[in-house]
Amino acid sequence: MALNERNARNANGDAERDPRLDRLYRAAAHEAPPAHLDPPILAAARREVGARPRSLTSMLRHWHVPVSIAAVVIVSVSLIILVSEEGGERIVPAPVPAVAPPAEQPAAPGAQPARVEASRETTQPQAAAPAPPRRGSRDDAKAPADLGKLADSARSEPGPPAVSGVGAVATPESAAKPFPQPFRGTPRMAEERAAPSPADAVTAGRMAGALSAPSEPPLARSSAEAPQAESLGRAMQTKPTEQDRLPVWHGLEKEPPRKWLERIEELKRQGRAAEAEEMQSEFKRRFPEYPLPLDSK
Amino acid sequence: MLLYRDGDASAFNALYARHKGGLYRYLLRQCRDAAAAEELFQGVWMNLIRARAGYSVQAKFTTYLYRLAHNRWIDHYRKNSHVAMDSSVEENCEAIAELPDERERPQDETLDAKRQAGRLMELIAGLPEAQREAFLLQQEGGMSVEEIAQATGVARETAKSRLRYAMVKLRQGMLGWR
Repeated sequence: MALNERNARNANGDAERDPRLDRLYRAAAHEAPPAHLDPPILAAARREVGARPRSLTSMLRHWHVPVSIAAVVIVSVSLIILVSEEGGERIVPAPVPAVAPPAEQPAAPGAQPARVEASRETTQPQAAAPAPPRRGSRDDAKAPADLGKLADSARSEPGPPAVSGVGAVATPESAAKPFPQPFRGTPRMAEERAAPSPADAVTAGRMAGALSAPSEPPLARSSAEAPQAESLGRAMQTKPTEQDRLPVWHGLEKEPPRKWLERIEELKRQGRAAEAEEMQSEFKRRFPEYPLPLDSK
Repeated sequence: MLLYRDGDASAFNALYARHKGGLYRYLLRQCRDAAAAEELFQGVWMNLIRARAGYSVQAKFTTYLYRLAHNRWIDHYRKNSHVAMDSSVEENCEAIAELPDERERPQDETLDAKRQAGRLMELIAGLPEAQREAFLLQQEGGMSVEEIAQATGVARETAKSRLRYAMVKLRQGMLGWR
């Protein structure tokens, strides 16, 4: 035990201490520096601090930790916000039934209510919240044929007078309308297609224009696009009313085909041919097995 | 010292008040000349002040301060002495046991502490420089063997042997002074 203690003291260097010598030395050593040495030294210390500004490295060293912490916090918060935004877009519940079966397939007799339900669900999100503007043109280049169809269908509908020609496809009214073709894709794509942003509509319109009139001179087209872009901007600034965004068949989603036909006839009688045609195409989409009257075909 | 480096002048006052006594005594015992000790004392603090901006924590402040003092004293020693420090000779303590204690041995066993302290100071003054320095760093700076080695720029074992020889000599010199 005593040996271990001595070894430990040796390791720490305490073996070189002698309590008696320590005590004697403390009793003997009382000299202090003369008082006249203090003022010049203290004055020099103050001068050094006051005269010489802190060096850049000293300042950097001083702020190193706070700046690092702030940077980490900023990056973390940015990442969290970014991830939550991205995740939120993906998490937006787009119901699975929104993926309707292809129109070419013969519908089963019991499939009609499900189809009506699915179409209602696809139309609900767009009325509740329009899709945010898309960041890139990745999806634009993905399906030019679909965009062409979209542009064709949009061009066939009468839009507000301020937006005409190729740019007419960018009207919010047409953008809010459901896609006429049954959609095959992911729920997010369905949502984006159901409510395309104005930028998409412009792109779709241009592509559609290119497809329908390939021989059109580029210079003329570009000169025609400038006022269209202006009118498009005005159209984007004037927000459509709730009534404008509702489809013609609003309220008839649960009604039987007979009611739809009556409504189409009524629109025709009122001279609203475009709306009647639009509703008729929707009717065909919803009830492909239902025979149309002769005058409606 | 970090506070002083970052511009707090009052931090220097605290440092100075805490260490000025020990540093002065260390220099005084090493030089055995009050005027030289004062000059060295001022020089050490001026060096510290000038080195303020580049100070970084690498050891205890005491070690840093006494390292400056050691360097300053070495310069002074070299300038004022024609005999170089021969540590091998100084540390050769084979004949410690035979060292004659030529000082007056007190017959009275009840010598007061003051006289004992005076005797100790005489013994310290008679130590070789390196051993005396090791002992003074231990007493005035409160340093361990490792810190003494750092302050004097030698290996730990060297510092330890210097300190040991110093203690042996001092104990031996004080044998009859109880």
